[in-house]
Amino acid sequence: MSQVAVSLGSRLGDLVGTGHVVSDPTSLAVYEVDGRCPSAALLPGSAAEIAEILRFASAEHLAVIPVGGKTHLHIGMPPQRYILALDLSRLNRILAYEPRDLTLGVEPGMACADLDRSLREKGQFLPLSAPFAKRATLGGIVAAGSDSPLRYAHGTARDFLLGVEFVTGEGVVSKSGGRVVKNVTGYDLHKLLIGSLGTLAVITRLNLRTFPLPPSQRMFVAAFADSSSAFAFCRAISKSQLQPRVVDVLDGGAAGLFAGRGGAGFLPRDSSLVVVEAAGHEAVLERHARDLAAMSREAHAVEFIALDDAQREQLFGCLCEFSPIAFSTTSAATFFRIAALTSTMPTLLLKAQKLAERHALDCAILVRALGVVYVALLPPPSSKSYPALLGCSRELLNLCVASGAIPMIERCPLELKNMLSVWPPAGTEQEIATRLKGVFDPQNILSPGRFRGCI
Amino acid sequence: MQRSIIHELEKLVGKSGVLSSAEDLLLYEYDGSVEEARPDVIVFPRRKQDVVEIVKLANRYDVSIVGRGAGTGLSGGALARQGGIVLAFSRMNHILEIDAENQRAVVEPGVVNLDLSRAAEKYGLYFAPDPSSQKSCTIGGNVSENSGGPHTLAYGVTSNHVTGLELVLPDGEVVQVGGRTMETPGYDLTGLVIGSEGTFALVTEITVRLLRLSEDVRTLLAIYDSLEDATDSVVDITAHGIIPAACEMLDGWTLRAVEAYVHAGFPLDSAAVLLMEVEGVRESVEAQAAEIIEVCGRHHAREVRRARDARERALLWKGRKEAFGAVGRVSPSYYVLDGVIPRTKLTPTLLRIEEIAKRYSLVIGNIFHAGDGNLHPLILFDHRDPDQFRRARAAGSDIMQLCVEMGGTLTGEHGVGMEKNELMPLMFNEGDLDLMRKVRAAFNPVGRLNPGKVLPLGKGCGETRLQPFPVSASGNA
Repeated sequence: MSQVAVSLGSRLGDLVGTGHVVSDPTSLAVYEVDGRCPSAALLPGSAAEIAEILRFASAEHLAVIPVGGKTHLHIGMPPQRYILALDLSRLNRILAYEPRDLTLGVEPGMACADLDRSLREKGQFLPLSAPFAKRATLGGIVAAGSDSPLRYAHGTARDFLLGVEFVTGEGVVSKSGGRVVKNVTGYDLHKLLIGSLGTLAVITRLNLRTFPLPPSQRMFVAAFADSSSAFAFCRAISKSQLQPRVVDVLDGGAAGLFAGRGGAGFLPRDSSLVVVEAAGHEAVLERHARDLAAMSREAHAVEFIALDDAQREQLFGCLCEFSPIAFSTTSAATFFRIAALTSTMPTLLLKAQKLAERHALDCAILVRALGVVYVALLPPPSSKSYPALLGCSRELLNLCVASGAIPMIERCPLELKNMLSVWPPAGTEQEIATRLKGVFDPQNILSPGRFRGCI
Repeated sequence: MQRSIIHELEKLVGKSGVLSSAEDLLLYEYDGSVEEARPDVIVFPRRKQDVVEIVKLANRYDVSIVGRGAGTGLSGGALARQGGIVLAFSRMNHILEIDAENQRAVVEPGVVNLDLSRAAEKYGLYFAPDPSSQKSCTIGGNVSENSGGPHTLAYGVTSNHVTGLELVLPDGEVVQVGGRTMETPGYDLTGLVIGSEGTFALVTEITVRLLRLSEDVRTLLAIYDSLEDATDSVVDITAHGIIPAACEMLDGWTLRAVEAYVHAGFPLDSAAVLLMEVEGVRESVEAQAAEIIEVCGRHHAREVRRARDARERALLWKGRKEAFGAVGRVSPSYYVLDGVIPRTKLTPTLLRIEEIAKRYSLVIGNIFHAGDGNLHPLILFDHRDPDQFRRARAAGSDIMQLCVEMGGTLTGEHGVGMEKNELMPLMFNEGDLDLMRKVRAAFNPVGRLNPGKVLPLGKGCGETRLQPFPVSASGNA
């Protein structure tokens, strides 16, 4: 180890205690981001320690990437610099939970699955059923801007994050929002942190609104010969008085993945599927079952099934875990997240499927909450497939822009990242975004270069 | 203000688009709050380009600009605290598009809140935020203040229903943030700008999400002989897993004032009423109404009435939404407060408010969004009596301090404006406020837009002596 590294290690040990510094290269491999490994990983135990670390890093101009469950580090462009991983796994406590107020204060390193268990004991839940559920942390999920199948009814973190405490790039401990369910005091800086990939600040506490568990729920699957019929069914749902909490659409590729790797073998094959879940009292579930069956018939469904509890759990898990399931098929999986209007989706889906076919790439598509289209291109795990993957990705990006959709690539082989931007081109808001980055992180040490607009 | 700027404004928007006479200016020195500040000129743009040109003009003459919707705000947000131009959006009031299939509408900022819901009704859609002033307040104003309303308990506030904004920055640059889609990659500038009270940018176009009108609704009125029983019911309803679409409370004093004016059927001898609404599919509404009635009964509700038809429902809501007007009949002036507490702290908070009323020898009525702990104490006073006005403001400040002490916040939906900017240190320390100042400066570097709002003024303008509550001492989440 060089003298510089030894000196750095000793300084870092002073900040968090030597037992909480990782510096041996083998152990650091888990903190890799797009081929770059940090020189050290720190595991702070408090917001005050994080502030110390960031003040030090800022003064020394050391690039820092905050890390939770390491489940979403593939998002964004490769970091321009990366010296320290700030591992928040020790900050994993529930700080305040008042079920009768439906509010919760939690540290960022708490695993979503652990939190879910604690909430369920009190008959509540948080609609953040994110992918990689066993490892993903609350802070990571919020910073990555993940969504869940419950988005249709509950939205995203933007809709139930009440406030945050955080440390800026300069090491200033600060906060925004509050701990009550309604609040407009001061500027909503916490909204900026959602989906910001740790480029602005390190979250040290999240205040969230919780929700009562419904008395029961039932999931239905309608199978269609083509996606246009599936969307006709979706249109009928959104025009109806029904209030489902999940409406996701799967193309044949996604249905096949779920039936195989996802263990949902009961799903109909070679069809476009619409998955709908209703929640509430028995009479409400009956009403949904009745009306959905009728609507699916009108849209020429080939099959309509009400799932039993075990099947429901399996399929709900698949919907949450779509990206990990897709990634598990090939290391070259390329995963698009496309924000689109419902009306444009049938055409977008068809064209995306044709594109993949033309480039001889396997493809799986999931439409989330009739608002976001996830497209997984699944080539063989060999660099020989990269030219096709690159060509298809470029065409898909252009196709999205032409249909008014806004695409980003959540994951792709590093070689592709070096040839195309995973973010959409910057718009008129870029100058403001850059200025805000300068306010929160003037030394540009937090996740430099990973975000939209080279932030 | 130089006369030449008025001439230049007239050249831009025509003589009928500019007001500058003393009597006209007088009308714009008020909003719905107790604050006053007179502008130098009021200008009414008709299009985005007018706004851009007005902003450039203001830069040339180095005067400030304050955006204004209908002036119904309750924290002085639309008042020209340092004079200058009031840019009134009332002529930019067009619904540009209703895209029923995608459940979106694109509107100009001067569109009246209820007008959008009325226009969307034929598609079975509506705009969810419903401030009590929805018959007159504008969507631009709602965006500035991140407005709520009774039904935001279930459906959220303005920021939950806006997907994109077109902004004119203080240098005249036009910027699009967000869009029509459910999300946009990058920082959530839409979420940041909503609720920034006109201190970041002027909003010239708003894209909103429309919701489907519910199939069925039940409106219930629970009547109590004790305030505590009413507040306990609110907590217990939630504990039963029911989130009503609305859950409003009026205390005894307020309901009597309202009843005398609206004749909504509130019993004059009761200590409190809860006005609750559940919406959704028919089957769910009936089951939830039955559960609510049972919970209220368990907490000694004297009676729970159901609105039998749309007329009765409208009457009950009239009692709630016109409550402020009713209070105006019994007092020369009133000061509407807006604070939030955890709903489990309703009873102790109301008791403390009663003590504050006694301490300052004032009458304070309580009407509030009980479901989300959003209080609206109404302090009665006579503005012709300076001592009463002073006591009213002092009581208001004490109540705000109490809300923060209870683990709550300074404002749930009315905004900080110039009413509470000096109270901000109750919630935020100097570091927090400094960061907010820098964020504001990223949009509005020289303070051209709506100066003197949201954040405490500098030391030269009267340093506040309020101390922040330590994070750990401000109660549970």
